[in-house]
Amino acid sequence: MPYTHSGLFIPCYINALYPEVGVATWHLLKDLGVKPVCPAGQTCCGQPMANAGFERGAIPLLEEFKKRFDSFEYVITPSASCAVFLREHLGRTGHRVYELCEFLLDVLKITGVPGRFCHKVSIHNSCHGVRKLHLSSASELVEPPYSKLRKILSLVEGIEICEPANTDECCGFGGMFSIEEPSVSVCMGQDKLKNHLDTGAQYITGADSSCLMHLQGIAQREEAPIRFIHIAQILAAGL
Amino acid sequence: MSTQHAKAAERFIRNKAQEEWHNETLRLVREKRDRQALLLPCWEQLRQLASQIKMHTITHLDKYIEQFANQAEANGAIVHWAKDAREHNDIIYAILGEHQVKKLVKSKSMLTEECHLNPYLISRGIEVVESDLGERILQLMDKPPSHIVMPAIHIKRQEVGKLFEEKLHTEKGNSDPGYLTHAARLHLRNEFLTAGAALTGANFGVAATGDVVVCTNEGNADMGTSFAKLHIVSMGIEKVTPHYQALSVFVRLLARSATGQPATTYTSHYRKPRKGCQMHIVLVDNGRSDILGDADHIQTLKCIRCAACMNTCPVYRRSGGYAYTYFIPGPIGINLGMLKSPGEYYDNVSACSLCYSCNNVCPAKIDLADQIYKWRQQLYSLGKADRTKKLLSGGLRYIFTRPALYGAALRLAPIINKTPRFLIYNNLNAWGKGRELPAFAKESFTRMQEKGKIT
Amino acid sequence: MSTKNDILSNIRSHSGKTYAMPVIEPDAIRYTDTAARFMEVLKSVGGSAIELQEGEDINARIMSLYPEARSIASNLPEIRIATINPDEIATPHLLNGTALAVVRGEIGVAENGCVWIPQNVKEKAVCFIAEYLLILLDKNNIVSNMHEAYAKIGFNDYGFGVFISGPSKTADIEQALVIGAHGAKGVVVFLTA
Repeated sequence: MPYTHSGLFIPCYINALYPEVGVATWHLLKDLGVKPVCPAGQTCCGQPMANAGFERGAIPLLEEFKKRFDSFEYVITPSASCAVFLREHLGRTGHRVYELCEFLLDVLKITGVPGRFCHKVSIHNSCHGVRKLHLSSASELVEPPYSKLRKILSLVEGIEICEPANTDECCGFGGMFSIEEPSVSVCMGQDKLKNHLDTGAQYITGADSSCLMHLQGIAQREEAPIRFIHIAQILAAGL
Repeated sequence: MSTQHAKAAERFIRNKAQEEWHNETLRLVREKRDRQALLLPCWEQLRQLASQIKMHTITHLDKYIEQFANQAEANGAIVHWAKDAREHNDIIYAILGEHQVKKLVKSKSMLTEECHLNPYLISRGIEVVESDLGERILQLMDKPPSHIVMPAIHIKRQEVGKLFEEKLHTEKGNSDPGYLTHAARLHLRNEFLTAGAALTGANFGVAATGDVVVCTNEGNADMGTSFAKLHIVSMGIEKVTPHYQALSVFVRLLARSATGQPATTYTSHYRKPRKGCQMHIVLVDNGRSDILGDADHIQTLKCIRCAACMNTCPVYRRSGGYAYTYFIPGPIGINLGMLKSPGEYYDNVSACSLCYSCNNVCPAKIDLADQIYKWRQQLYSLGKADRTKKLLSGGLRYIFTRPALYGAALRLAPIINKTPRFLIYNNLNAWGKGRELPAFAKESFTRMQEKGKIT
Repeated sequence: MSTKNDILSNIRSHSGKTYAMPVIEPDAIRYTDTAARFMEVLKSVGGSAIELQEGEDINARIMSLYPEARSIASNLPEIRIATINPDEIATPHLLNGTALAVVRGEIGVAENGCVWIPQNVKEKAVCFIAEYLLILLDKNNIVSNMHEAYAKIGFNDYGFGVFISGPSKTADIEQALVIGAHGAKGVVVFLTA
């Protein structure tokens, strides 16, 4: 099968802050029959600079990325927004980049996952996941409702899934936006967190650790009783 | 590193009750729009058609605007052409002078706001009366609109009550919206009956027929034009639409997108002047034809001014219209401001988390967020890039392009976790406002891999 | 003239790629019972529609609906109870204070409760200034959507026409909906067969 040798891209902030997400992704892929290869020397896709207005600064990073991943038929990453950025900026190589859930559902077409997770989780839909990668239907569009995150989570044994009100409204992270417009960013995050808390969930999960990092920062400051977990960790729970 | 928008937004948010009300009220308008859209299975098809019709029209604008002007003249209207705001104002002042008009009653027009028509006329002795309720409230308060469809959305009923007590002599302490609206009805009725001229904007100009189409809920455009002997239309050249078939697409989208109504109460078609009266149409360029040459931003000319992008924008809802330095706020305003004068209005470019909701609600499918992204790329060459952001981006790039250094940084980073709080959470740390910093992992993914822990 | 040419030539000099006009044939919603849908939507926008029975006396029905109306403006010959004929007044200002106006609509639109009213009276003010507006509409002239409506609408020599969907309204004070901003405070459509 072609995808047995697939490249795994670990985004910079997952590498430094949430390596357990990378580890979970690694084990999950292996368990599902993929032999991921994680090329040495990979760093960042360049999105943070580009969204801040320094797209040119991202070019050398994109070129490095291309060098390291060009030989793979599939490149998998546990981050929707990085996947979007790479897909939009890398031409042919970019089209081979998949966000993890997308890869599992659309390419591997899995019908089961190893994980068992007996908790109530609230799905965090990231903007780029919804409106760029189409991981779920967008509330603004008249289209049949669907959600790849819900679909894949529903394969997990023991899980209870819910979604917050205004489920695809932005949480206010937005990369550099979070520090350039801190008041609005925090305000958006507080509102988002409240909607998540109102579901009564024990965990907030999603396909973008960046949104989760922002919400977790607010939850910690407010000592809110909720935990954060990347979707890969749920799918791989127990491995 | 704060932009004007960021600072003003901070002040807006400090009044938490006001911010919450503003956010939730506009969110409800967005939801009303969603419900109307869902009733039409062909909604996405309509948006696609609207986008295509607009792209066709604006890339054949010379043909359609001339056809419209010829048709309008054949119908008996008098057509004027204005290159810029000054010419627009001069023309209108001259028309009013010719007819010795002392009082002008206006219905809502963002174009006259763009041209600063009111202060221009008032300084020359013309009495100008806004007749849209929201606009009238703001005019009496001497404030600009903060939203292009709901101009007084930031004003509380108590403020309107107080204002009307003073200006319209309403009951003391009565701030019931029904009561206040009725008082405004009586007050403005008198203005309609005594004005020498009525000015309206134009939602659409139909090239094939010469119709000027104006949409209102209050009926103020029609009240004004039913009595005054002079009707002046202020119309941007991009408002032209080829024919009724095209118009039907926009009329179906406009009110649903704007306020979640299936149609505005009045969709008025002004084809000929009233018997014994005059109708003047002022066609205004004011920078629009220049935008045609800008491939990155030409799509702004598709805008039908429905404000759906404002209602959906999570940043606009939480910062209010006055936080933006251009007179049109929200996603479309960020872009139009930059097109008008980047050096003056670059502050608004920060007011976007790139969530792309605006792209999805826009009935004409303008790529609003993509355009904001593009403006950000240009700030550097404009000399307006934020220094901290630039430094941060440059620093990150320096590390990220050097895998060995990146590896070293990953190993050293956890030291930061042990830094005393006061060194991290201070005024220099925008992240620390309301948020804790994430902790660096004891061992990065890269390190674990190097050590052979991931197999 | 020169400004016109300047603008047109500036448009031309900035023109780049051109786009074709699409075929405008959306799969617009069609209702099997357009009258029922029209009545439902009109109600949702604050108006109401009443189906007149065959042979029913319009004047009597109006009087029972608006017993207080002292001044009734209409130029329709069948409205015998009219007190002012807007065709025969010197200025539209004389319509101020009208309690009820009765006009004829030509096309109803089921999807949004609109009625197309081409000006068929000397003073169009009559449609807007009266406290209440009554529109007579042939039930057989209700189309499903605006595409169909725009394919059918016509003008009289007056050169004005308006789609009206329910009563005048505003939500400019705190988004609280108030009926009766500047135009009619109530709109009733009489559907005739």
